[in-house]
Amino acid sequence: MKPKVLMMAVLIAAFAAIDRPSFAHHGGTAFDITTPVVLKNAVITEFLWINPHPLIKADYKDDKGNVQQWTMELGGLVGAQLIGWTRTSLQPGDVVTLYVWKAKTGALVGRFNKVDFPDGTTMRDSQTGADDGGRSDSGQRN
Amino acid sequence: MRKTSTGIIAGAVGVVFLSVLVAAQSAPQKNAPRSPWKYYPEDARANEGPGGPAPVRDMSGTWAGESSGAGVKRLVPPDRMPAFTPLGKQLFDRNKAEGTGVLIAQSNDPHVRYCDPFGFPRNMNDQIRSMTIATVSNRTFVMLRFMNIWREIWMDGRTLPTNFAGRGADVHDPTYNGYSVGRWTDDYTFVAETTGMAAETWATEGGLPHSVDARVTERFNRSSKNDLSLTMTMDDPKLYSKPLSLGQVNFRWIPSQTFFDFSCVPSSVQQYLKEVADPASSPGAAR
Repeated sequence: MKPKVLMMAVLIAAFAAIDRPSFAHHGGTAFDITTPVVLKNAVITEFLWINPHPLIKADYKDDKGNVQQWTMELGGLVGAQLIGWTRTSLQPGDVVTLYVWKAKTGALVGRFNKVDFPDGTTMRDSQTGADDGGRSDSGQRN
Repeated sequence: MRKTSTGIIAGAVGVVFLSVLVAAQSAPQKNAPRSPWKYYPEDARANEGPGGPAPVRDMSGTWAGESSGAGVKRLVPPDRMPAFTPLGKQLFDRNKAEGTGVLIAQSNDPHVRYCDPFGFPRNMNDQIRSMTIATVSNRTFVMLRFMNIWREIWMDGRTLPTNFAGRGADVHDPTYNGYSVGRWTDDYTFVAETTGMAAETWATEGGLPHSVDARVTERFNRSSKNDLSLTMTMDDPKLYSKPLSLGQVNFRWIPSQTFFDFSCVPSSVQQYLKEVADPASSPGAAR
């Protein structure tokens, strides 16, 4: 076996050994996990701390000045708790930048990726919070 | 040969690097506030190794499952396409489980759509978060975190009921968790048998059906202080031509023994489906 092939095989095996919760549950395949939609200066209107998924609602003004009303889901509530989210992590009136994997249907709904706060901190989704849509264990602001 | 050795070394370095990366991600922050009322999965992760021999005939305590964040692995999933009878195939085809080819808007999973109870045996092979086992003189109780379920397994020598239909006074109503009896078959293996489960529930997340007469055998094996496994099989001749595997789930001892509730809330799931899941998976869904 060529060394590069061997090294790749070992690395792939190592990645496979990492516990990665399934994103297939609750409509994961309905979202376009390629490039997140970026909603700059979005205004949080509601943060619903509910099962099976917390919901973020936000108003976003597009380039033409039209206000879009977005709703997006986080990963499971417990998974969010385990990486530092609480029911007050987002509050109505917060002005933030939201990254969201948009629904393939084109509706203004999606799967949350991450949020950038004005102070430069970031919180991520437990399952799709990495920049490539993979798992992130860092829900803490960092 | 030399290049191969270089590759092996580079691969090993890669594994070590990734392990350190994962450990760093999973490690609790120093000086982070801690509450005795919270479950910290890193405690279970840090509880490495067997922890000593298993106590004799004792599963009592609180256990972390595969969906607890503690890094517990499932080794064997349930059968996905077992040997159906014609009736079993007919019932299976009615069940539209979310997954490959079926989005949430098209699913008729009664739990996903309405938070209906999983019922047994699904509640022992799906959403395995954590579990507490407690034993009194004549029964073992299994309490499941997901949906705040308790099951009662009788150990007083009684036999399982068999009559779940008809009009007589001796008929037993089916229940979500069925009727269970159990016994120790050796010092570390507890076997439970259950029947009389409500037939409208699914046996697995994949939509396998079961009849009220299905008989499920659970084999709990405590191999060490920290390790408990559960292997499940189901015999249901009306729907399957031979017994099928419902898989194996594993549990790890939680040092803090912290255990708290987690429920699917019907009003919340309706809101979630209406506002996100259905619009995301069905172009015609209103929002």
